[in-house]
Amino acid sequence: MIRVVGGLALAALAAGLVMAFGVAPRETTQGNVQRIMYLHVPSVWVAYLAFAVVLVASITYLVRRLEAADRLAHASAEVGVLFTGLTIATGSIWGKPTWGTWWTWDARLTSVSILFVMYLGYLLLRGMVEDRERGARYAAVLGIVAAFNIPLVHFSVYWWRTLHQPPSLMKPGPGTMPGVIVAALLVNFAAFSLLYLYFVAKRACLLRREAEAA
Amino acid sequence: MADNWGFVLAAYGLAAVMLLSYWRFLARRERTHTHPARPQRAGPGVSEPLAPTVSEPLAPTSGHPRSKPASRPPLQ
Amino acid sequence: MLTFARRAFIVLWKDLLVERRSKETLNALFFFALLLLFLFQFAVGPDRERLAGTLPGLLWLGFILSGLLGLGRTFVVERENDCWEALLLAPGDKSAIYVGKLAGNLLLMLVVEAILVVLFGFFFNLDLGGVLPALAVVIVLGTVAFAAVGTLFAAMTAQVRARELLFPVLLLPVQAPVLLATVKATEAVLLGEPLGSVAHWLKLLAAADVVYVAVGVLTFDFVLEG
Repeated sequence: MIRVVGGLALAALAAGLVMAFGVAPRETTQGNVQRIMYLHVPSVWVAYLAFAVVLVASITYLVRRLEAADRLAHASAEVGVLFTGLTIATGSIWGKPTWGTWWTWDARLTSVSILFVMYLGYLLLRGMVEDRERGARYAAVLGIVAAFNIPLVHFSVYWWRTLHQPPSLMKPGPGTMPGVIVAALLVNFAAFSLLYLYFVAKRACLLRREAEAA
Repeated sequence: MADNWGFVLAAYGLAAVMLLSYWRFLARRERTHTHPARPQRAGPGVSEPLAPTVSEPLAPTSGHPRSKPASRPPLQ
Repeated sequence: MLTFARRAFIVLWKDLLVERRSKETLNALFFFALLLLFLFQFAVGPDRERLAGTLPGLLWLGFILSGLLGLGRTFVVERENDCWEALLLAPGDKSAIYVGKLAGNLLLMLVVEAILVVLFGFFFNLDLGGVLPALAVVIVLGTVAFAAVGTLFAAMTAQVRARELLFPVLLLPVQAPVLLATVKATEAVLLGEPLGSVAHWLKLLAAADVVYVAVGVLTFDFVLEG
């Protein structure tokens, strides 16, 4: 079953590449560098999806004490951190030719970086608590705190960046973009989501096997 | 404006490397669990039941975790 | 409801008594705050203009660094004196312990922050007279947020190895939005602007306070289970 998802993910990724390079047009203002967006934006969407799953799984674990929920939270956090890292890396590579600098504290990169260190801390906590039941409980609480922090991060960073200077930074989003670009974004988002599903399923399965072996 | 294909390639290349590395991490971990009789090689995240990396004793002496007696300050 | 408040108060009162007798935490934190002042001055250099620009940030850095030290020890006194098990066995709602500890930490942090503000005013020659009420509002809002999450995480990390490392590593990322808000608001307040001009930051801080305390109260039971 997992292999089917994996195969689908691969196919979707291929489709996404075709869309990103073959179908989508060369962007007028930025040139072909803009194609990095087809990696960067779906990546951050999937990261948020992953952390939403962590929230739901964490609450479920605390309320019902289902080991499966704990494993799902762990797996989803790990994959979420992976995609968050990917978002930051691609954002930075995009930034160099576009804004002339490898790093900039713009709203999205800053928010995503805070997210990255928050959930990296989550993984660190999991690694440092030996007792499995306690580790699951603590991680669940942290997962909940981190998730509720996300909107606070958003608003604070956005106001921090835009309230005292005009938003001269490009904010790509489906808003006023031509349909083809939106379509390419969505295809890549679907591909990344399938990849996320595949990774999480495999990871959760691994966690279950490790738990049974111990 | 220059097309900067180098950066595009770098981004996609890096993405591929990151995703593939994670996939390989999962695949390798899976292999060590489906063939537990295999001699275990030290690697990232590979479990080593023969050489526990935890220095503190694993078995809890009671339900409640307590600090080691030697490290506790004497009661006053 | 009343027993909840009473139990929280008992925890707070106990901690205050312990502190009053030993005074160790407060003294150490006061000294630490003073040292931070020196550190900041040396790090930023003698240029008054530059110092003035970074002052709000340095002030909150001082609060956070002192807070990390002070909050990290929240449950150490119980662990060192073998009262931890008693805490875990306490009947009823453990959230009362959280509220009591939170109140204690809040008081501690506010005292240290007051000292830091006075020291800052003295060393960097600030005229704080008119802005003090507004500054106090910002400081209280920010400190509640810091203490709320800090108390929860202190309980969590109390039993983990390398507690001193994990506590700041977990707390600081979560506090990032609060830091952004407080520094911006403090900046405005120190320039003499009215609180209304930073209303959005204050609302964010208030929202953060509500969220963090609510999550703390709701999840503390789960943290103290083991």
